[in-house]
Amino acid sequence: MTDIKHHAYLFDATRCIDCRACMVACSVENNIPMDKTRIWVAGLGIQGEFPDLHRSSMVYHCMHCDHPDCMSACPVGAYTKAPDGPVSYNPDVCIGCRYCMNACPFGVPHFDYDKGIIEGAFIDKCTFCPQRIYNGQEPACVQTCPTDALEYGNRDELLKKAHERIAAHPDRYIDHVYGEFENGGTSYLILSHVPFSELGLPNLPETPVNEVSEKVMEMTIPFALGWGAVLTAVSAGVAMYDKKKNGKTAEEQAEESK
Amino acid sequence: MKLNITLPKFLRIGTLPIVLIVLMGIAFVVAMIRYIFGIGAISDLSYSYPWGFWISFDLFTGVVISSGGFIMAGTVYILRIKEFQPLLRPSVLTAFLGYIMVAVALLVDLGHPERIWYMMIHWNHTSVLLEIGICVMSYLTVLAIEFAPVVLERFPVLHKIAHLIHKFIMPFVILGVVLSTLHQSSLGSLLLIQPAKLHPLWWTPILPILFFTSALAVGLGMIIFESSLSSRYFKRGLETHLLAKLAKAIPVILVIYALIKFGELAVAGELDLLFTSGSMSILFWVEILIGVVAPSIWFAFKQNRTNPNRLLTGAIVLLLGMILNRFNVSWFAVKHPDPLYYLPTFMSNVKYFPTLPEVSVSIGIFSAGILAFGLLAKYFPVFEDENRAAAHVGD
Ligand code: SF4
Ligand code: SF4
Repeated sequence: MTDIKHHAYLFDATRCIDCRACMVACSVENNIPMDKTRIWVAGLGIQGEFPDLHRSSMVYHCMHCDHPDCMSACPVGAYTKAPDGPVSYNPDVCIGCRYCMNACPFGVPHFDYDKGIIEGAFIDKCTFCPQRIYNGQEPACVQTCPTDALEYGNRDELLKKAHERIAAHPDRYIDHVYGEFENGGTSYLILSHVPFSELGLPNLPETPVNEVSEKVMEMTIPFALGWGAVLTAVSAGVAMYDKKKNGKTAEEQAEESK
Repeated sequence: MKLNITLPKFLRIGTLPIVLIVLMGIAFVVAMIRYIFGIGAISDLSYSYPWGFWISFDLFTGVVISSGGFIMAGTVYILRIKEFQPLLRPSVLTAFLGYIMVAVALLVDLGHPERIWYMMIHWNHTSVLLEIGICVMSYLTVLAIEFAPVVLERFPVLHKIAHLIHKFIMPFVILGVVLSTLHQSSLGSLLLIQPAKLHPLWWTPILPILFFTSALAVGLGMIIFESSLSSRYFKRGLETHLLAKLAKAIPVILVIYALIKFGELAVAGELDLLFTSGSMSILFWVEILIGVVAPSIWFAFKQNRTNPNRLLTGAIVLLLGMILNRFNVSWFAVKHPDPLYYLPTFMSNVKYFPTLPEVSVSIGIFSAGILAFGLLAKYFPVFEDENRAAAHVGD
């Protein structure tokens, strides 16, 4: 067992050399078929204007949000958030509606479009290697990374480390740790020398994107009961008014209404 | 050209049913391919576009055009405006078939159709989709109960049951209206979780209110549309005087809708987006013009409300505009993270365009709905003559 309270990653885009060893390591560790992956490494090529050129690449997988939108959206509750960080998916209850893919602002969960109902088509995403981290090991991608662009540890410590690194090299980094507050905080923290939007990361507020919909959902049941009561009252009222007004039987009224 | 063959009476069917059956057959074959080889085999859906034509057309459009059922049930039973009785059964039938079509389409779209009932046992109470699922399933039951008397009445033995249902219809009607209010508006809430993806011209916390308001207008439009078409096809009289009254309400609802919509944009300080969002601005204005402005003006004139052809024209324009609204909200205005950045080439599929098989599934399901409507209307008293009609309401 580990003494880590909140498992997290730190990714430093200035250190990544686009070797994609993490992708391979992940696929081997988790037995992912050749044509699928849980990590995407994007080499963004040469950016900037001469003579101010730089290359960047970005390693992308589930952010293990503190307020996961996939989990908020899934109708059958296939997602769970462990108190110490990892967000996991349970294929046994998934109905394949793909609402989680819509909900995740990072576009992380992906789906087996190439499988029929006999093989079973499921969602897949990064699991945070529970089989490793709960045995005191680093996740496979982190352990493989040759340049320490990916690091693993306690979220607090990684955040401290990240801010120290920015303070030590203010010229090299953008003064912001992506994921510290984005979407209510994530367990995947990112340091970069180029604007985060250039790495393909969405510009998100500090409130989780599921906030509004969860509030609306809370109002549903009270609203339904209230509306039902109003309708009952109205129909009773109208019925009484009808009876009083002409004191006739329904049949006669019906005849009249033609 | 006329073929000189005399068929026995039960084999003599028109061209329309044959066309519909062929379309259904195509959809069936395509669906089988999907079940064997996966959704990717027949559709263009991808990691970036998990929802596409099926959701926009079958779910969003299918649900909104079925709103006539609860509007008529509410009008006739709760408000007791009994003159609308002749429109009740066709509206309830349209809604019933509409929701069955939604359910069937979901069985194609879901990755695990055999698990659709999991929604009844695994509840994640923060999920809007769960609410919609439960409401739609319950409302289908309510509609079945509301429509059952039409079928039961045909059989003398079952007449008693029909009578019993009539007697205890009120709780079901109220339940139906509540469920409809909930899920018509929740379809809007479904998009609330995408503030980062849906264009701000459409994303607003009051999407559920907008969805419900527009569903009222669409429901009225749909009743006009479906009565007009069936009166032509079955060569029966059209209740123009009733439809005219419905048409009169449409501009009122649409003006309220527009006030809410533009009011919200103004409050959010997003009015400039109306002109600065390029193609999104254009989509928005097209939707507003044909879905709101044109039908409000059209139905404001009396001669357009009393002429059957003009009624139908106005209803079609309204429906097209509002359907475009549903497509915008659920598809055209949704921008998923650009996978060019982070997907390796073998996965990037930024563009989405529905494939022919994908569309043919929807068309096939729709055809089945039309055919079922035709058959039921032919063999059961869906269109009652007016004196029998009114006799059922009451206590
Ligand atoms: S990044 Fe997406 S999939 Fe991962 S926890 Fe957050 S919302 Fe869920
Ligand atoms: S696809 Fe599965 S995991 Fe995703 S929201 Fe639907 S049921 Fe939940």
